[in-house]
Amino acid sequence: MKICRLSLFNLKRNKREAAAIVFLTLITTFLMTTFAVSITQIDRAFDRAFEETGCADFILLFQADRYRDIYRDILEEEYHVTDVRESSVLYGAGASALSKKGESIAYNMIFADENTERKMENFQKLNALPDDEIEKLSHPIWLPQYFEITAGYAPGETFTFVSGGRDYPFTIAGFYNTGLYNSSSMLKCIISEDDRVLLSAVYEEYRMIAFDTEREFSYEEYYEKCAAKSNENVLSAVLPLDKDMEKMVETAYLAVFLYMSVFLSIVTMISALFLILHKISKDMEEQMVQIGVLEALGYTSRELSFSYICEYIFTGGIGAIIGGITAAAFSPVMDTLTRGMMNRNVHTDVNILRILIVVIAIIALVTLFALSRAARVKKLPPVVAFRKGIKTHHFGKNILPLEKMRHSINIRLAFKGIFNDLHSNIGTGICMIAAGVAIMFSVYLFDFFKSGYNGLIGVLGMETPDISIIMMSGVNGESFCDEIRKFPEVEKVLLTRAMGDYVEIKGCNQSAAVFSYADFSLTDNIRLKTGRFPEYDNEIMISARREKTENRHIGDSIIIKGDVCEKSYIITGIVTAMNNNGISVYMTEDGYRRIRPNDRPNAVEITLKNEEDRSAFTDKLTTLYGASAKDTAYAQSAQGSLEERIRAKADEKMAVLISQYGVTDVDYAIRIGDTIISGNSSHFVIKEISSMKDFLKSQMESIAAVTKTFSFCAVIFIAVVVAVILGIIAASAVKRQRRELGIMKSMGYTSRDLMIQLTLRILPVTIISSCIAAVLSVWVQRAFWMAAFGVQIPESLPLIIGTTAALVLFCLIVTYISAGSIRKISVTELMTE
Amino acid sequence: MIPILHTEKLCKSFSNGATQQHVIKNLDLEIMEGDFTVIMGASGSGKSTLLYALSGMDKPTLGKIFFGDTEIQDYTNDQLAVFRRKNCGFVFQGIYLLENQSVLDNVLTGAFVVQKNSPGLIKRVKELLAKVGLDEAMQKKYPNQLSGGEAQRVGIVRAVINEPKILFADEPTGSLDSASGRDVLDIFTGVHENGQSIVMVTHDIRTALRGTRVIYLRDGKVVGDHRMAKYGGDDLKERREKLTGFLDEMGW
Repeated sequence: MKICRLSLFNLKRNKREAAAIVFLTLITTFLMTTFAVSITQIDRAFDRAFEETGCADFILLFQADRYRDIYRDILEEEYHVTDVRESSVLYGAGASALSKKGESIAYNMIFADENTERKMENFQKLNALPDDEIEKLSHPIWLPQYFEITAGYAPGETFTFVSGGRDYPFTIAGFYNTGLYNSSSMLKCIISEDDRVLLSAVYEEYRMIAFDTEREFSYEEYYEKCAAKSNENVLSAVLPLDKDMEKMVETAYLAVFLYMSVFLSIVTMISALFLILHKISKDMEEQMVQIGVLEALGYTSRELSFSYICEYIFTGGIGAIIGGITAAAFSPVMDTLTRGMMNRNVHTDVNILRILIVVIAIIALVTLFALSRAARVKKLPPVVAFRKGIKTHHFGKNILPLEKMRHSINIRLAFKGIFNDLHSNIGTGICMIAAGVAIMFSVYLFDFFKSGYNGLIGVLGMETPDISIIMMSGVNGESFCDEIRKFPEVEKVLLTRAMGDYVEIKGCNQSAAVFSYADFSLTDNIRLKTGRFPEYDNEIMISARREKTENRHIGDSIIIKGDVCEKSYIITGIVTAMNNNGISVYMTEDGYRRIRPNDRPNAVEITLKNEEDRSAFTDKLTTLYGASAKDTAYAQSAQGSLEERIRAKADEKMAVLISQYGVTDVDYAIRIGDTIISGNSSHFVIKEISSMKDFLKSQMESIAAVTKTFSFCAVIFIAVVVAVILGIIAASAVKRQRRELGIMKSMGYTSRDLMIQLTLRILPVTIISSCIAAVLSVWVQRAFWMAAFGVQIPESLPLIIGTTAALVLFCLIVTYISAGSIRKISVTELMTE
Repeated sequence: MIPILHTEKLCKSFSNGATQQHVIKNLDLEIMEGDFTVIMGASGSGKSTLLYALSGMDKPTLGKIFFGDTEIQDYTNDQLAVFRRKNCGFVFQGIYLLENQSVLDNVLTGAFVVQKNSPGLIKRVKELLAKVGLDEAMQKKYPNQLSGGEAQRVGIVRAVINEPKILFADEPTGSLDSASGRDVLDIFTGVHENGQSIVMVTHDIRTALRGTRVIYLRDGKVVGDHRMAKYGGDDLKERREKLTGFLDEMGW
């Protein structure tokens, strides 16, 4: 009991330090508990959604014209899948739509009717209009929860798709719960059968195969079997999705934030533990005579150690318990945050056991550290304690004697002071390094996302043209490009292949997205990390993630499987590439033809000059090269003379043949009496026009905004932790050096002089630890980007230097302000005590 | 003689919760330049309080303090610190050396605050320390390695190194044995002989004998003022008798 009184006495005397330890342990427990509870709840939220919707384990979408029945047979015969559901859907890669604000945005959107939906999963409707109102809707659409949660749509509102300058407005009948296709990378909406037919002229038709299997299913193995039996390239015709992939895509970002929270909590914990060690040391120093007296009175060193430990069990315990309770109370807020990031309804059950484990673990850690330092009481027999320990006796060398120093007295005394409290400075340095790394990393993140998703575009590893055109089959791409280049609005035109082209790499389980250009030096956004662009047909570049995960390097050979052959390529460069989850490879146009000799570039990427209006130029292209085949297919026939009407109708028919049946050239001749009206499909150059920028906006805008906010909050949070630590250290230094400071005041040193001295004392440790933190933060940043996105973003030296300088300055300002308690030291009081 | 320091209706009170304790009451006092003024009085008479108020260590509650022609009672703490560094030196009963600094550094800490990097300063400090019996070897020692007398000598050197206009001492021999006390007082006498104004608080007659003026305080007021010749310039026995007589009169 008496021992506890000693603890309470210490707590009362050092209220600020006690409050800081409570604060730091509270924050640590809160962050740790939130992580421990949330990380499992995310999985559960998915499992619940999969169970509620009864969604298929696997869904394969094959391009309708490239689908072969044998693919289904393989599943049934070789994989023994009994319940293969088959249907048709439409797929719009980067389908343009209007956002709620009326801005252009694009989604990878699957269009299914209700029957097809029921083959994939139960059609579980959520928030919806009344049935009688839905029946009255001419174009109802059911959107996945993504649109309700992320984009803020409500039932009854209009959702408009845009294609070829034409609007396709739908009325939102409601939202539905979907197991798969609920991430920004691919979404699925449910429309009526009639609307599906209407849109089939706009979006490409895919054959959908849904199936469940409890056996392990390997896509690569399946594709190989399909290719072997069909002699066709399956990989470039299929879009696969399964529960694990969906979970990974939707939670990738959330998991990153949760792990970052753990990182922050570790920084906070290090700070709390340092503060505990610092405080016990200083308390023991200050109370040494008292310790001696108590020992002389018969208290054992174990009892005295316990008195110190009690103090931290008490403060750490209060902090940990409040942190645990706060985390439990915070779970509804966490649900909302998680919901926003996963685009799903999440309900976090407060897991008392996990909270208790974290709370107990933190109290145990605090106790352990307190014990390690408090055990030093054993080394203080009464006689030593009476003499204030051996440390106050100087027998060693006078470090930095004043007579040999040439700076101002404040600097001289500050530098001498550093060596008087070296242990504390080392501890401060460790804290500063941890906090510095966290703060700098957060600053880098904030800086990267400060202008929205533009930073991400820079590391995509693919071109982001203003306009992407997929040409009709048979169109001479080079001639078309030459024509486009002549327009005054155009800055640059590149001939390439439409996205979604995949190849297999021998000896590797993961297929690769291929990007091919005749000359990579003309690209803007394919940036080398190391090496050079491929120039010859046997050269290739790979993504940084492939370099790391597959341990491939410049100069290595890589074998790419073509449709009917395998070809070897030499790696010439490594590209910073975030696209396709970092699985891309890059080869020259000639290089591509080695594996697919009959394949010709089918896409044109147009970059406009800065001031040019994208939609105006799109209209111009449409006028000159005919509307895209898809848009023309079900257009209303033009008004005008008989010949004009006939020609319009003929165009419409040709468009249907081209867009839906893959016909490449059509000639027609129509005889009306003596008049023959003839024509051909040569003016159908454009198969599809889209904007990569709009698509990237839907993919990255919210990610960028959340990361920016998170990193900003992290900077503020860590700054507060640093301020608390430095504030406490400075204030306790003032308290414990009251006598020395009073003596110096009596000599004529002003409070300002003394505050400067105290501030300058931490200058070296701040500079050194900030520099170490700067180096480590670059390393952490590289590791983070590589692990999260498979890219390496370029470091900005001015930003690193600026942040380091700002951190040093911040620490000095905080210390200077905290040392303000020097002003309260009264010389008279000191002399008369 | 010209007053170096004077007060007008100086008051100093301390509040202790609801009660106010008036320690110095309407005090008018002049301290003359070149004087060795000794302030005496019973415990609680306000000697130290007066010393700290006069020296700018503490602010008065009411009244004025003039240093020459300058009023200092309204100075801020930092202004008072600058005032002290330029004009005052202090010697304390508790000595108050900086424990983690060597003897030389203790003195230099006091010296550098005023004289910055003046040429020959370090040499002068060393000479002064040697003069009070602290040789090179002693100068490298730390306070915990010194005797009380040695430490107080360091304190005196630290107080006079900046050649203050006035030197304040609060019972400088209070914690010393008689031999050490005598040595310390000899130093004070020597300093005074060089023209240094000194104000010293003491309740030791042997110490008071060194002064040229003894002021007696009672209940915060000056109730007696006794003048003497410079120490050594008269018969010590007679000097002692006169002082004892004065103190007896004061009720010492």
